[in-house]
Amino acid sequence: MASRGRLPRPLVAGLLLLAVISAAGLAAPWVTADPSGIDLRQVLKPPSSQHWLGTDGLGRDLASRVIHGTRVSLAVGLLSALLALLAGIPLGAAAGYMGGVADGIISRLMEAVLCFPALLLLLALLAAGPGWLRSFPDIVQLAAVIALTAWIPIARYLRGEFLHLVGSDLVAAARASGAGHLRIVFRHLLPAALTPVLVTAAFTVAGAITLEAAISFIGLGIQPPTPSWGGLLTEARHHVDKAWWLALFPGLALFLTVLASNLAGEGLRDWLDPEKTPE
Amino acid sequence: MLTAGQSLLRLTVRRIGQAAITLLLVLVVVFLLAHMAPGDPLSGSGDGESFHRISPQREQAIRDLYHLDEPLHRQFILWFGDLARGDLGRSFNDRTPVRDKILQRLPITFGLNLFALVFMISLAVPLGALAAWRPGSALDRWAGASTYGLYAIPVFWAGLLLQILFAVRLGWLPLYGIAGPDAQQLSWWLRMADRAAHLVLPVACLGYGGLAYLSRFVRANLLEGAQAEVKRAARARGLSEWSVVVRHGFRQAAVPMLTLAGFILPALVGGSVIVEEIFAIPGLGRLFVNAVFQRDIPVIMALTLLSGTATLAGILLADLGYLVLDPRVRRG
Repeated sequence: MASRGRLPRPLVAGLLLLAVISAAGLAAPWVTADPSGIDLRQVLKPPSSQHWLGTDGLGRDLASRVIHGTRVSLAVGLLSALLALLAGIPLGAAAGYMGGVADGIISRLMEAVLCFPALLLLLALLAAGPGWLRSFPDIVQLAAVIALTAWIPIARYLRGEFLHLVGSDLVAAARASGAGHLRIVFRHLLPAALTPVLVTAAFTVAGAITLEAAISFIGLGIQPPTPSWGGLLTEARHHVDKAWWLALFPGLALFLTVLASNLAGEGLRDWLDPEKTPE
Repeated sequence: MLTAGQSLLRLTVRRIGQAAITLLLVLVVVFLLAHMAPGDPLSGSGDGESFHRISPQREQAIRDLYHLDEPLHRQFILWFGDLARGDLGRSFNDRTPVRDKILQRLPITFGLNLFALVFMISLAVPLGALAAWRPGSALDRWAGASTYGLYAIPVFWAGLLLQILFAVRLGWLPLYGIAGPDAQQLSWWLRMADRAAHLVLPVACLGYGGLAYLSRFVRANLLEGAQAEVKRAARARGLSEWSVVVRHGFRQAAVPMLTLAGFILPALVGGSVIVEEIFAIPGLGRLFVNAVFQRDIPVIMALTLLSGTATLAGILLADLGYLVLDPRVRRG
């Protein structure tokens, strides 16, 4: 069996990239100009030494808008993943450990939600969803609806793991030593399955960031003037014939973030699963 | 002891039963979605503005039309009855039947997705086969890395960049729409050429994301199909490496490919929403986005339901195909 040994290159690259992106997002208010500072003498200027990534239709500095957009994307991505873990772990654990009717109900529910294309379901929810949903800030609203579909891969994985572990010696031994159900689940089963669940959560972050950008691009997500990458790309559509930089840079930031999360997830999976690690 | 035929029948019936429960849940999800919405047809498009000027008789007629006075479970049953008769209700926006709106736009979205699927398969299968031919080679790694990168590119970014490059900068292709302004005056051939030019960018946008998934899938299945024993047997018969991989691999890969239907369909439908929005294509995706902005609940419900049931049907057919084609599943 191969040892975990050296960190795989995709993991290192993904984590480094994520670190740079997060640092930029965190430091945004101190390192950039005002993202909403309108300057009508500087409208639609291409990248220059003064405005590194150019300016938009209102003369606002694109670089600082893109960097501020990082905050929205990371907040939605991390919050969605957190909510998805909070829903997916208990539901998946219940389905896998209890089996029978509970498993039947949870499995059919997962199948039903998976039938809907996520973007369609989320847009429908944001448009037709309950009124109280709209009383939350944009970021929380988006993270909540994204988590409604994002819990499923986590629950599915955990269900499979638990189904497999319930019949194993691990559980038989715990039961023989007098452990109750809760103790078996929390002390024996969850720790055994937790790391792969966290890998799934890395992909959840990537998926949630893409979905948020898509929803904001359609116009139902983060509302202007708050800069978000999806929203910036919508603004770019109005100037598609004269300002390529407006389309290029926000998308590039989104692409790199999603790529970094995927690389980190994939690298982490290879690292944790020695059988798959190519030597 | 059950015979093979009996157990196949039993598994098929069980799978269909499960799908029926899932379908019921899909219906409930869509129904509740619509009924959580603040406001009703009487409070305008849901934005709080109401028509108080209409007469009580007219108001009652609208309440009856949308069954607003019935309890929730009765409303669900009535809605289900309407659905069973093919009645998807009327748009809040212009009171036209939702079914007509959908049927009018369906061919456009269907065509777009069909072309995207053809594009995806015709690129992914050769790519996957080439990668499986020499696993670990430079070609394999290059194909893997580039499709992996493509997969991380959000479709609305790709759409914008392609528009800027091919429509604005190079001027080779139209920026958006499905027909040029003078399309009606053109001869049949030129009109088809015009239509094709309008389709290039949307189809590419809709199809590229699935390439990574599909080509990896083809590669993995070909490699599994060309496992040691099968390969050795084929090689012993004097077949070349290439035909071992392709001829034997594809036969074994045909079955798992079925399961893809359940994955690709929702991705394509979700993609259509964005692609039709970017390229101003008057299909179902655009209808959906407009309905979302106008809070046109019947249209939102119908399209959500349509995409949900289409995917469910795809998954069910794939599972049933699996049962029939792969004897190993039946043993389980």
